[in-house]
Amino acid sequence: MNKHTITYRQLFFVIVQTQIGVGILSLPFSLFTIAKIDGWMSLLLAGIFVQFSILAIWKLCERFPQQTIFDILPKIMGGKLGVVFNFLYTLHFLFITVLILILYNNIVSKWIFFQTPGWVIIFTLAMVGVYFISSTPRELARFFMLVTPLLLVLFFFILYAYTDVHFLYILPMGETGFLTILKGSKDAVISLLGFDAALVFLAYTNGTSTKKLKVISFASLCVTLFYCFIIFTTYIFFNPMEIVIVPEPVLYMLKAFSFKIIERTDLIFLSLWVVSVATSFIGYLFVTVKGVQKILSLKHHKKAAPYLGIVVGIIATIPSSKLETLMWSKYIGMTSLILSVFSPILLLLLAAIRNKKEKEVISS
Amino acid sequence: MNQKGLILFCSLFLLSGCWDQSLLSETKLISAGGIDYENDGKVISTVAVPQAIAAESGEENVANQIFSTSGFTARQSRLKLDREVSERLDASKNLVLVFGEKTAKKDIYLLLDVFYRDPKSSLNAKLAITKGKASDVISTKFEETTSSIGVGEYLRDIIRSAEESATVPEENIQSICPLLFDPGQDFALPYLVPRKDVVDVEGIALFSGHKMAGTITGPDAVIYVLLTGEKSTISMATTKKILKGQKENILNYASIKIKKNKRDFKVNVSSDGKISAHIDLKTKVVVTEYPSDKLGDEKVLKKLEKNLSRVMTKDATKIIKQLQEMNSDPFGVGRKVMAFHYPTWKKIKWSEEYPKINFTASVDVEIIGHGIIE
Repeated sequence: MNKHTITYRQLFFVIVQTQIGVGILSLPFSLFTIAKIDGWMSLLLAGIFVQFSILAIWKLCERFPQQTIFDILPKIMGGKLGVVFNFLYTLHFLFITVLILILYNNIVSKWIFFQTPGWVIIFTLAMVGVYFISSTPRELARFFMLVTPLLLVLFFFILYAYTDVHFLYILPMGETGFLTILKGSKDAVISLLGFDAALVFLAYTNGTSTKKLKVISFASLCVTLFYCFIIFTTYIFFNPMEIVIVPEPVLYMLKAFSFKIIERTDLIFLSLWVVSVATSFIGYLFVTVKGVQKILSLKHHKKAAPYLGIVVGIIATIPSSKLETLMWSKYIGMTSLILSVFSPILLLLLAAIRNKKEKEVISS
Repeated sequence: MNQKGLILFCSLFLLSGCWDQSLLSETKLISAGGIDYENDGKVISTVAVPQAIAAESGEENVANQIFSTSGFTARQSRLKLDREVSERLDASKNLVLVFGEKTAKKDIYLLLDVFYRDPKSSLNAKLAITKGKASDVISTKFEETTSSIGVGEYLRDIIRSAEESATVPEENIQSICPLLFDPGQDFALPYLVPRKDVVDVEGIALFSGHKMAGTITGPDAVIYVLLTGEKSTISMATTKKILKGQKENILNYASIKIKKNKRDFKVNVSSDGKISAHIDLKTKVVVTEYPSDKLGDEKVLKKLEKNLSRVMTKDATKIIKQLQEMNSDPFGVGRKVMAFHYPTWKKIKWSEEYPKINFTASVDVEIIGHGIIE
């Protein structure tokens, strides 16, 4: 059997781990700024929207079995335009990895390492990424599976907040109106990004087509519910007037709890969260390196990995102030909406119109 | 293999570097802090730093070093302190933060901002308001602090034991933060009174918005904690005068320990927009002192229950009236109006409405035990 394949069960972990990442800490805040206390509804709504993209991605990859998005694009668009789009997509994924690094550096230097220079924080994670993506998808998936139990620990930490919550803070429900909730779901969709890794990973997945769809949808459902739980908890822990000034509500909430042995629960949470960030970074970096491999027609993507790590790291050190970071995340969020959420649907339509389709090559 | 080993060996040195170390030997850990306003509006910060001194007998004694400076803001005065002290001051292990009464009557959020903003600050430090100046509480050498523990630990322990006896509600810097921002709910903090060589937790200081509005002291504070809906604490107890004109004055009293406290809290808005609130407490108690005895008799027991219910209802009503006069809403009536009657909430100005609402309470006492004698 080919070492590059993963089982459909492993695909679940790949998607979950790529989806859960940096956003987990600041999502409640960013949703609150738009949809107020109904932010959690925006997220549920976003979960539904994302499902459409997932359907499109799945259908698209079903048409071209065992091929990544970078193989598919030239086939739908035609040779030259395909190369342009390959380049565009690679750049897009590259900037997502950059954004992950930027936000990661931001939070880590704000909460734990006040003195450590930003580039050190960035390059240690970039190095980890380079190391991981030099391996096969199977090894990657195994690692993602291995660290998934850590999410349970995060869950229990957050559960502890229920010792001091005010359920009335979530009321009155739906007062902000449907339009505002809808507007909030835009940001929520961006936080759910990571399912787009399926554009590449589906190519390596064994199993029947329906099983694959079930697995991706289930992964997205799990992440949506997990996020919703976090958002809901922070909204009943913090007063609606207070959450406006707390950009990382989850950490702030945990900072207030201390046990006999652990005094700063937020630091424990952060060190587990780092793993989640690393996995989504690795997931996207792998997707990017696959794009680079295709563009440069490399035999193995391993060769490009170190250079990619350096490039990504260097770009990530550029934004220096909080406002610049905000601008970056705004623009990259926008391109993500277009390229990861909407365009799979368009690509699928295009493929259907042009009737591009390939039979599965049975390889054993 | 060899190459891998070399990489691992190198990373041992490269990955273990630390910019972000703060060595214990280079810091002075603050255990208690006090903040006062000076007459000219400057902020005085007073901090206590416990220093262990090895005594001859092998026991460790603690000497409290007290530092104090003034500045225009809380942070500025802290920075000044830092310059005065030989090592770096670190407040991440702070146990208690005390405000002077006069200071608390101004906006306390302005002084707390620095604690919420600093990622290293200890958010679970206890807060307290003191009669007089906070600097006095921090710097006085009390009986217990001179012997073995620092002033921070001493203050934390007396507040903790007051929490256990339900004289004060359990709060810390973080737990009051949502309430500071809530337009529909206020909070209360322990109220300290320094005596000659002890500090008394006299009761609670109530807040209206960001400002202290008044105090409730003595046994009434216990009723207050019951009204907040606290289920039970380790020694939630109170003594009530239930009779009049007995031969010996002491026979007029009964002491009870609350085993279980259940609160039913209703807020109603009538069709013409009138807000009314009612708290109904169902408490199960154990009699811990009743010199008249004869509790084996069901009639006596029922009568005692009735008397206790009557007296406690009276106290509860009195407290609620006091709260309304102070315009302090620690039970969150406003929060309930906002949550369940939002259209009404949007129309009214809560701080004007709250003193006028019809707010009542009733306490229903049930005796479930009376110690090992009848």
